[in-house]
Amino acid sequence: MELVIERVSKQYRGGVWALRDFSLRLRPGVLGLLGPNGAGKTTLMSILATITRATQGSVLWNDTDRARDPDAIRSVLGYLPQDFGVYPNLDALEFLEYLAAVKGLDATTSRRRIEELLNLVNLSDVRKRPLGSYSGGMKQRIGIAQALLNDPQILIVDEPTAGLDPEERVRFRNLLSELSGERVIILSTHIVSDVEATATGIALISGGRLVAHATPEELLRRVEGKVWEAVVPSSELQSAKQRYLISGTARRADGVHIRILSATAPNGAQPLAPTLEDAYLYCLNTHRVGEAG
Amino acid sequence: MKMRLLYHLVRADFLERVRRYSFLVTLAAAAYLGYCCVTGKVVIRLDQYRGVYNSAWLGCLMALVSTTFLTLIGFYIVKNAVQRDQETRVGQILATTPMTKSFYSVAKTVSNFVVLAAMTGVMALAAVLMQWLKAEDAHVDLWALVSPFLLFALPAMAFMAALAVLFEMLPILRGGAGNVIYFFVWTALLAMPIASLDKGGRPSDATYFTDLTDVVSVMGNMQADLRSIDPEYKNGAALSIGNTVTSQKFLWKGLHLSTAAYLSRAACLLMALAVALVAALFFHRFDPARERGSRRAPAEIVDWANGETAVAALPVQAPVHLTPLVRGAIALSLPRLVLAELKLMLKGHRRWWYAVAGGLFVASVAAPLDAVRGGIAIAVLIWPVLVWSQMGTREARFNMASLIFSSERSLQRQLPAVWIAGVVVAMSTNGGLAFRLLVAGDRSGLLAWLACAFFVPSLALALGIWTGTSKAFEAGYTVLWYVGPVHHVPGLDFLGATPESARPYLFLFLAMALVVAAYLGRRARLAYV
Repeated sequence: MELVIERVSKQYRGGVWALRDFSLRLRPGVLGLLGPNGAGKTTLMSILATITRATQGSVLWNDTDRARDPDAIRSVLGYLPQDFGVYPNLDALEFLEYLAAVKGLDATTSRRRIEELLNLVNLSDVRKRPLGSYSGGMKQRIGIAQALLNDPQILIVDEPTAGLDPEERVRFRNLLSELSGERVIILSTHIVSDVEATATGIALISGGRLVAHATPEELLRRVEGKVWEAVVPSSELQSAKQRYLISGTARRADGVHIRILSATAPNGAQPLAPTLEDAYLYCLNTHRVGEAG
Repeated sequence: MKMRLLYHLVRADFLERVRRYSFLVTLAAAAYLGYCCVTGKVVIRLDQYRGVYNSAWLGCLMALVSTTFLTLIGFYIVKNAVQRDQETRVGQILATTPMTKSFYSVAKTVSNFVVLAAMTGVMALAAVLMQWLKAEDAHVDLWALVSPFLLFALPAMAFMAALAVLFEMLPILRGGAGNVIYFFVWTALLAMPIASLDKGGRPSDATYFTDLTDVVSVMGNMQADLRSIDPEYKNGAALSIGNTVTSQKFLWKGLHLSTAAYLSRAACLLMALAVALVAALFFHRFDPARERGSRRAPAEIVDWANGETAVAALPVQAPVHLTPLVRGAIALSLPRLVLAELKLMLKGHRRWWYAVAGGLFVASVAAPLDAVRGGIAIAVLIWPVLVWSQMGTREARFNMASLIFSSERSLQRQLPAVWIAGVVVAMSTNGGLAFRLLVAGDRSGLLAWLACAFFVPSLALALGIWTGTSKAFEAGYTVLWYVGPVHHVPGLDFLGATPESARPYLFLFLAMALVVAAYLGRRARLAYV
């Protein structure tokens, strides 16, 4: 079971490159796709989900080129786009029955599957309510359910926890971990804690290019000894921001505690254990500096 | 300050519109109308006469074409100003500003008017071009050429601009039903004053005030002048399409308008303002609670802050498990998908919609065959127009495209399923007529019925896919239905309401061509097939 992305590039009308020479090799597990706004995450996901065509490069699923046989991916694909709609006059049951038919599930299997999924996303009690009356979080959970209808081997989820309350977010993370053993999961998000909780690998993307592809542990090792805490008066916060890359601030009685990312120790700063957020910011910044240089 | 705000609202709206491809189509439609006039496909005929193509005649001809046709086409083009604010969610931002409802309504009217005026401008340019090309009178009288646009076309466009806003504000007219109803409103607005033309004599002052499209003002003037030249003239007056052969020409020197005619133009502008203000009464400032869909279960809307946790009763750390699916469970069955599409098509209508559809079915089984063919079956054909008009557009309209088109063999399965579901709707709603034809042993009638059942959904699907909006089918089909089955025009009567007007093989062929067009259209929109 392997998904190979080989030198994929995507150019939109007007000449803007959303992706450039992007390559990845994915095996079962959760890949956290992290990057700033406009980095190319959604474009990459659309390409993998066969929604849009890459300008250059290829995507292979178990050695089958997606361009030659897109249904080879579609038959094993579960996709939750960042921005998707529902048919407001249908209830949850009808909506999932419709998509099960679109995905080709037989009637008996889909009934069983839908029951299970509605329980899984906690929507069993409201299954008969028109989707038009659902809250944003409930719609998001319907989106999660539909992505799992066909028991996909490739699960692509774009900002899946947007709109979910903390409890549902934790449940969704657990679900991803449970599913990850036997399938390739690509999780795109801005929420580093979602990645921290579930990802077995992380791809950092910026300006359409792959900045880093590593395990969380490897990424954390990259910033080991580069995270510091210093305490400065409020009046000096601005000048500190100009001098250092800061990943967090907290106002306390003794001043502002700032979390600094730096290869060398700032004056009077204490070393801290790095987090994935530190690693993310550090790698992105290093990449940007490299690009500018 | 208000004027500045109005300017920026209209400017933003106009720029948003002109930067869409649909605006080019809009101008192309106006240019095509102009072309039809230039090439003599559209003329004003007064029995066997037409005017010499001087500035006065051409200005009035083009202005009349604008008020007659652009008020129809233009309405459908501009009837999306409020909807766009709703869809883009810009409306919710506007709703939080101090802008009043009436100001918003007037601003949208002005914005619509600017678009319609741009189309009218294209027609004015065509008038100038036409005088130069036809070269029947070399003297260009700019006022005679332009004044009919200023006096007639622009006030009519202002009224239509306001009417489009009113249709968008009224919940019942906002959707497809409004698109269908407008056609009949337009027909009535056109038909009322035309009736007075056949009577001869100068039109009464009151007529001007009911003459939105200015047919009476223009043609009444022309008739009066022709009568003084040819006393034998029989009062015939028509804006003719296709039948444009005229054997004689006369020199018409231009409009002589009465005070009432001028006042009627001012009244038209005031009516536009009044309609815009009435529309404001129904404007709910994009309140989601007032949206149509939210009426179904207002008490059940739950938000996270207030109680949705009651739904999420399972403990956070409860084990999450999903049973693996047996691989053979995916069978890609088409009938199941057809049923799902059919359910989707028929779901969500009001109860009275089903009641009327059922009533029409019963009537078509019980009434005499002639009455069924000549009336009930025709009514049956217009009733599901809003069911068919969703074909090919529903996926994009509800932002479902990425979910559906990333499914296996969606082009080969989902598209045919939608088409078959549309045919099933056509066959079942008009099944009463088929039953009667079968009993009567009318084979040619049955063939025409079959062609109709294939043609209508194919047209809906192709138009939906290629235009991306249900409006094209709702408006175009209503016109076709009115001209074809209602008036039994051969070649357009897709039902075959009379044996003389039936062309079943033509419509079977067209149905096939439209299905191919739909397939190609959808195929072009998919990254992979």
